[in-house]
Amino acid sequence: MVQLRSGPADAILELIGGPARRLYLTDTVDHPSPPAPPSDPLTDFFWEGAREGRLLIQRCLACGTYIHFPRPICRACLSTRLEPAEVSGAATLYSFTETHRAFHPFFVSRVPYLVASVALREQSDLRLLSNLVGIAEPDVRIGMHLQVDYEWLDEHLAIPVFRPAPLVAP
Amino acid sequence: MAIVGVGYSQVGRHTGLSERHHAAQAAVAALADAGLSREDIDGATTWGGDATDFAWMLGMGPLRWHLNVGVSPAFITPAIHGAMAVAAGHCDTCIAFRIMMQQPSSAVIAAGGAALSSPSMIDAAMMHPYGDFSPTQWAGLLMNRYLHDSDATEEDFATFAVVQREHATRNENALQRSPLSAEEYLAAPYISKPVRLLDCDLPCDSGSAVIFTTEERARDLRARPVFVEASALSSIRDMNFELLDDMTRTSPAHCADLLWSRTDLGPADVDCAQLYDGFSVITFQWLEALGLCEPGGAGPFVAAGHTRLTGSLPLNTDGGAINVGRRHGANFCIEATRQLRGQCGDRQVQGAQVAVWANAVGPFSGAMLLTAG
Repeated sequence: MVQLRSGPADAILELIGGPARRLYLTDTVDHPSPPAPPSDPLTDFFWEGAREGRLLIQRCLACGTYIHFPRPICRACLSTRLEPAEVSGAATLYSFTETHRAFHPFFVSRVPYLVASVALREQSDLRLLSNLVGIAEPDVRIGMHLQVDYEWLDEHLAIPVFRPAPLVAP
Repeated sequence: MAIVGVGYSQVGRHTGLSERHHAAQAAVAALADAGLSREDIDGATTWGGDATDFAWMLGMGPLRWHLNVGVSPAFITPAIHGAMAVAAGHCDTCIAFRIMMQQPSSAVIAAGGAALSSPSMIDAAMMHPYGDFSPTQWAGLLMNRYLHDSDATEEDFATFAVVQREHATRNENALQRSPLSAEEYLAAPYISKPVRLLDCDLPCDSGSAVIFTTEERARDLRARPVFVEASALSSIRDMNFELLDDMTRTSPAHCADLLWSRTDLGPADVDCAQLYDGFSVITFQWLEALGLCEPGGAGPFVAAGHTRLTGSLPLNTDGGAINVGRRHGANFCIEATRQLRGQCGDRQVQGAQVAVWANAVGPFSGAMLLTAG
């Protein structure tokens, strides 16, 4: 995991005002680093799972409810016995949007890209924020079947993404 | 409770003025509008800046009640809390502010010169790796799902933009006043498809102030009083819009049920509606949630011309935040007040007696019903 550090540009960013984006020592003009999530005991498992090619969702050991984004308590039963659980990665597309503007230097070379809300098979109200890959925007259909995949944004950061599921025999 | 004074600062793009400048200008305008002096103010609340700082700066006080509001459904939160403080007797006359400074441009953000600051992103670390930074993106998710679930089309959103601009041409305080065609709307660039540039409110610096007092006091003041008939706040989940399991039926539906349960009036009594348009799809959601049109029918309702000044339900008659600039919901309170006083000149809704204004969408929202005194 890349550690967040103050880069030499921080002082300049503070001079021009506003909340300065932390820069990485590895940043260069041509290859800005992806926005790596800061280490957090509550959410580290999600990104570690992605690096291993597994989709892990926090689950309540007492009542079985899946919870996303991770929280320190189960909102269904108030148990604090919560563990990451591997899910199938099978999903349907709840909604999507094709982003045309870059809101961070890393994404300048990636626009347009697809942001999606996907419905995981395991629980009817369980949504995952992700990217949709392997399909062009005009071909995207709400409700289409998806399967998880993993994309490495740099040598440290892998993210679960979704692509159209292969057709299966009924 | 009653609204007795409303005012704006010098609203504009990159005004060079501070939050304090905007608060001072808006407060002085609202006091003049009410015919009140600063000594009359004994309660203050704001989202943006600090209410006690503003009050001391303006020579108000001592305050008997004050509150700084954090992330919440736009201006309606300080407005409802100010009205409730008066109703509870904690103060007699309360000023409520929304002070909003323009965000850095997307070009500066893309170059790494600033980060987009979105107070709604409480789980930003889970979102940023996906390139999800901007409210425009959840608005894109919402609008695509809405286009899927409802009868609306992109052409209906074009009509909506055209009609709002028609209103703005009649508002000398609007920042965008030149007539707009549907073709121009459709030719505007996508920010996060299907959300186009002209589906988004116009970034600017703004200060808005509204003064609430008791009905008894209001009847003694010079302006025609406007009464708070009912209000409601709702929250149905945490602030992650992206994870809503039913995006097109969210807190406005719950909020509207609460609002109508607190009054003998109903949707058919509303003479004009002022409904949040931070993204135009939000206004569509409110039209349906409040029962002002059929469920899923906001698109055809707009296309049929009902929201024009000559229609059955004039809507966002100041031109909306898409045209008057981002005042984060305060413009809808102020425009509703001015309509009920009969002060809107070329865009006046004749005989307006009942107005509803509403803010936000998704996880949380608020609404207020006003009547002419």
